[in-house]
Amino acid sequence: MTLAAVLAALLALGVVARGMGFLPVLGLVDAVAMLASGTPPLTQSGAGVALLLGIAPGLVLSRYQADATPEGQQAALPSFLALALMVLLLLAGSRVQGGQFPAGLCIVAAGLVSVACRRGMVWQWAGLLTCAQGVLLSAVMAGQVMAFGAGALGGLVVLVLGALCAQRVLPRRARALKGEKRRNEV
Amino acid sequence: MRFEDFTVLLAALAFVWPFLGAVGVCLAPTERSRDVALWMAGLGCALAVAVFVFLATGGVSAGWEDDPVQRAGRVMLALGLWVTVLEHGIFRERLLRSVPHVSTALAGLGCVASEAAIGLGILFLALAWGVFVFMRPAGQALAGWQIGRTGAVGLLLALAGLTLPAHGLTTGLVLACGLVIMTGLTPFCAPAREGQGALLLVPFSGAALLLAMRLRAYGGVGFDMALVAAGLVSVWTTACLPATARTAEDRARVFRVFPVALALMAVGVGADVAALLLLCGWCVAGGSRVGQGWAARALACFPPGAPFVGCLLMLSVLVDWSWELALLAVAGVLLGIARAWPDASARTVFGTGEQTMGFRDLWPEDRAGRLAFVTLAGMGFLVPLAMMLGAF
Repeated sequence: MTLAAVLAALLALGVVARGMGFLPVLGLVDAVAMLASGTPPLTQSGAGVALLLGIAPGLVLSRYQADATPEGQQAALPSFLALALMVLLLLAGSRVQGGQFPAGLCIVAAGLVSVACRRGMVWQWAGLLTCAQGVLLSAVMAGQVMAFGAGALGGLVVLVLGALCAQRVLPRRARALKGEKRRNEV
Repeated sequence: MRFEDFTVLLAALAFVWPFLGAVGVCLAPTERSRDVALWMAGLGCALAVAVFVFLATGGVSAGWEDDPVQRAGRVMLALGLWVTVLEHGIFRERLLRSVPHVSTALAGLGCVASEAAIGLGILFLALAWGVFVFMRPAGQALAGWQIGRTGAVGLLLALAGLTLPAHGLTTGLVLACGLVIMTGLTPFCAPAREGQGALLLVPFSGAALLLAMRLRAYGGVGFDMALVAAGLVSVWTTACLPATARTAEDRARVFRVFPVALALMAVGVGADVAALLLLCGWCVAGGSRVGQGWAARALACFPPGAPFVGCLLMLSVLVDWSWELALLAVAGVLLGIARAWPDASARTVFGTGEQTMGFRDLWPEDRAGRLAFVTLAGMGFLVPLAMMLGAF
């Protein structure tokens, strides 16, 4: 268990509470956690994919206006639910796996709560990417190459599908439209 | 060519064939695309049956030989593709035509992959292709996103379970949760949209069931318990849903995932043949056929048919597992059957009405329905016979 792994689990809670803004930081901390645990070739590729999954959505969304889907009144409830799930998983994990902190699983649980409890497409996209980050961390910590490959593929699929959906659903920012017009004029 | 080489070639061709079908239907002119799809799907069925009968053996077949139940499961997936193609008209959009073929091909490949994680990765590809195609028409982006979101959550959860140590309680629970969400079981997932979504979801859920059979050895006791519990909750939810389903069509829609719930219970108790029969019911009568009377009755385990036989087999194994759970399951299934019983025939059965169930309610009018009905009745007879002869 490293400090970065614990921090990553806490940052995943931030994604549940605040959405896409926490995703780049989560990606960064996740990458550090991977580099700190596991064997070199897998950790390096894992860190690369985690960084990509953390940073790319922000870059895509910078071209579009914010998602205006109204959320429910119980905004604080998902965080508590995620926290409770994490504590339960921590207890179950410590009993079954001899004291190992299942950080990846906690991140997956937080992402799941974000997908299930939020209505906005962008928030759900952030939740799915958080899930993928958790799977990657878990696979790297366990040293499972196949699961890591499938998780990376899944993360990339979610990234592309989310970007396609955001392109179709969200209106463009005025600045991006202006830039496009200028390029057309040139 | 030796016979062993021929069987390996046959197995390889059976995996490649649906991809060829997808290319064929994309390239064919729109008017002829349905005929091409029918021929390709029909030949794919014949190939799947041939692979089941002629098992790849010998030195060159390393990696191709697998469990007979898995091979029979791929026959069910191929049959489901044939019925799907037969019941739909001509799709104007080229890529949409390829979705059932591609998803069936990738589902078959995912089930035969040497490691379950690779299989889940392949299913990610199937999901990506299906959702990409569904998202393309105007105004369909969010509907496609909903399908992709549910599938991706299930796949990621199952992958997370695979990264945990084998036979752990957490491992089993997480794996089972992932597979349950992949199958789209009713109370745990939002009800899936009908229509085009079924082109992807029918083989996707089928592949999840076949993968669940393989993952039982990895998941341990927690996996079995979670699958049985999820199936039981789904059966009871279907049976006791509030009386919002007034019309016959609504009632039929409620029973959409009934065989999947029973199949998950069968996987949990280790009754693979029962799960296979229920998978046959899901592939052939599920999907967008739920609005039709015969399909609703088949899904609700009415005799004759594969789901009925599968349900009996599953209950017989469940009794050995735990008689309390078996009692609960029998009560849930009976309650479900009572709800699925058509109003007119119910009056007749209880002797208080004049209306009778017409021949049309039993024997479907369209070609796809007739093929599905004959398949269900045939499989309900053939699979137990094969089990008695020692094929499984």
